[in-house]
Amino acid sequence: MIPSLETIAALVKIGLLVGGLMTAAAYLVLVERWMAAWVQDRKGPNRVGIPLTKIRLFGLGQPLADGLKIILKEDFTPSHVDRVLYNAAPLVILAASLAIFAAIPFGSVLPPLGIDGLPDPVPFLVAPGFSVGILWVFALSSIAVYGVLLGGWASNNKYGFLGGLRSSAQLVAYEIPLGLGLLGVVLASGSLELDVVMTQQANTGVWYAFAQPLGFIVFLVAAFAEAARLPFDLPEAEQELVGGYHTEYSGIKLLLFLVAEFLHMVTAAFLIVILFLGGWHLWGVTGSGDDITWAMALIRFGVFSAKVLAVILFFMLVRWSWPRFRFDQLMNLAWKVMLPLGIANLVIVAVVEEFRPQLVEALGSSAAGWVAILLPWGVFFAGWITAGMLTPSGTDNRPIRPNVLSDDGVFAAEHALVAGNELFTDTSVADDSVSTEAATPASGSDA
Amino acid sequence: MTLPVSLSPLLAVNATLLADVGQVAAQPRWLMAIAVAAAAVSLWLLLPKGLENRRARPIGVVLGSIALACFALAGRRLGSLGEEAVFLLVAGVAVVSATATIVTRSPVYAAIWFAMTLAGVSGVLLVLDAQFLGVATIVVYAGAILVMFLFVLMLAQPSGLASYDRVSSEPMLAAIAGAVLVGLLTVSIGRLSAPAALEGDQSVAQTEAEEAAAAPTAVAAPDQLRDDHVARLGGELFGRHLVAVEAAGVLLFVALVGAIAVVTRGEAAALAEGRPTR
Repeated sequence: MIPSLETIAALVKIGLLVGGLMTAAAYLVLVERWMAAWVQDRKGPNRVGIPLTKIRLFGLGQPLADGLKIILKEDFTPSHVDRVLYNAAPLVILAASLAIFAAIPFGSVLPPLGIDGLPDPVPFLVAPGFSVGILWVFALSSIAVYGVLLGGWASNNKYGFLGGLRSSAQLVAYEIPLGLGLLGVVLASGSLELDVVMTQQANTGVWYAFAQPLGFIVFLVAAFAEAARLPFDLPEAEQELVGGYHTEYSGIKLLLFLVAEFLHMVTAAFLIVILFLGGWHLWGVTGSGDDITWAMALIRFGVFSAKVLAVILFFMLVRWSWPRFRFDQLMNLAWKVMLPLGIANLVIVAVVEEFRPQLVEALGSSAAGWVAILLPWGVFFAGWITAGMLTPSGTDNRPIRPNVLSDDGVFAAEHALVAGNELFTDTSVADDSVSTEAATPASGSDA
Repeated sequence: MTLPVSLSPLLAVNATLLADVGQVAAQPRWLMAIAVAAAAVSLWLLLPKGLENRRARPIGVVLGSIALACFALAGRRLGSLGEEAVFLLVAGVAVVSATATIVTRSPVYAAIWFAMTLAGVSGVLLVLDAQFLGVATIVVYAGAILVMFLFVLMLAQPSGLASYDRVSSEPMLAAIAGAVLVGLLTVSIGRLSAPAALEGDQSVAQTEAEEAAAAPTAVAAPDQLRDDHVARLGGELFGRHLVAVEAAGVLLFVALVGAIAVVTRGEAAALAEGRPTR
């Protein structure tokens, strides 16, 4: 049975994508170390060049050395682990994070090749015409949770387990704002295919980051959390959990985990660029149609890659600029800030899209376009100010609740201290019950 | 309690077979009978409280494989060889994992096997071009609900619940009931899908001949193959079934508010009584 040309084209794309991603992951580690060194005002890895010579090449040989080192290290399996799941976890997480790219475009289209059996033009996408591409991405990123959870549990180690639990809670919580951010784009573009979303932004010339600023922010924050990057790296938290769910892993299995984590970040960068930053589109440079020359195809690919790289660099810069959240802050941010903001974004997008025809009729198309952009910006600032006013400006690490086991006198005294603290504005439920009791300490013991 | 647990693999068999409606019943009925009987016996042998014997498990595995092979043979062939192979692979994964879900004694492993079942079912749906359903299965069940299960199971003791909560106490009855249900459902739905069945009592041979003749037209124009399938699905859900969708949404919302109310009231009461809350 001879595979069809389409199958061969898909295989070639898979090969290019996987090869490119793996190489990119290796070199992005180097870039991240450079970035760390730059932020911390030191030199960073700059010595490893061509092997067996003295040529340094700014340290470009470092990924090779790093890779060899981690592959050749002993792959030690502790005796107290659950062997099956311990071995399966890194495979699950890597397979899921690679399979995501089946539905993620990595450029525009090739010019018509004129080969029989190949659809023209050839898109830069492994599975073209997959009508639920965005859902596919969503599904597989939720499968990646299994790798983390199983890795942590099978390690039979308290740090690993804590990392796994934190991770699953965090990933499940932030899937909701992630979905809400996505939904705005889906609503505006009317498609679940990522390449269609890009084409629409190119056609209108309005990137969704401008048309839906609130959705962009919500999606960006949720993507950071889903990729478990600082300030959301609680699943790993070297200082607290010595690596979290992969504490007990070493050698090639650890490498699989690390690569998968890096791929999550790369995926997040791809999605941010595709959904909100116009994909391959750049005003005045790339055009927007499908009938293009080879030069234009290359330019579009270049623009796309440059945007992705810029977002990845942003990820890395943030890593060295922000402290880690505490777990309650993490959950507050997801449920009390990002969820309402995401819903507000969804509502305004729905309103704008619903009344767009009437707007165009009343104001003309260009004025209607400006209104459709400015309205969401108004909601953006309103949401920002509201969120800023409702959330506490500072945090306090003292225990929120007094020690209820102590006798009433101490109880009341601690209470006054806590209730008088202005910083506790975000724990209204706890504070209410607490302060009524502080007023009448005796009634508490009666009830 | 015992019945639903043991039914799950058989229902997975059913789901994979029914996913391609009209696939069954083209072959002789005795093949289906053998498949059902073998599946019942193998389930009984495999279940934790079944035959307490050292040899029970290997024999159960062999019988289960026979049942699987019979189910595969009894089905109607799909379009191309590649499609057929992928379908059998994902369907096999679904059924075997579903069996493993109820056979294993460890709750965590059961949850993982159940995730595999969902992956298999989703694969079947993808093979049959029901892309939205396939991916939604993963998002909703494997991605959200099952992760919550795992979360709770892992927080609980590794041994989990007591054995009477986890394993079927009437494995033989459960296996037989499940097998009979699967047999009846597959046969009756296989009949329903054949146009001739509307006329009522007809000879089996005649039905089969008509089915074979009707097969190409039955497969001809499924809605799933259309480009705007997802959009049409959405239109259907929010058009004809709008009230049902909204009612479900409101119901879930009420449940959410109720859960939060219960939790906060419990905490407030604990605080009032001077018990530690968290």
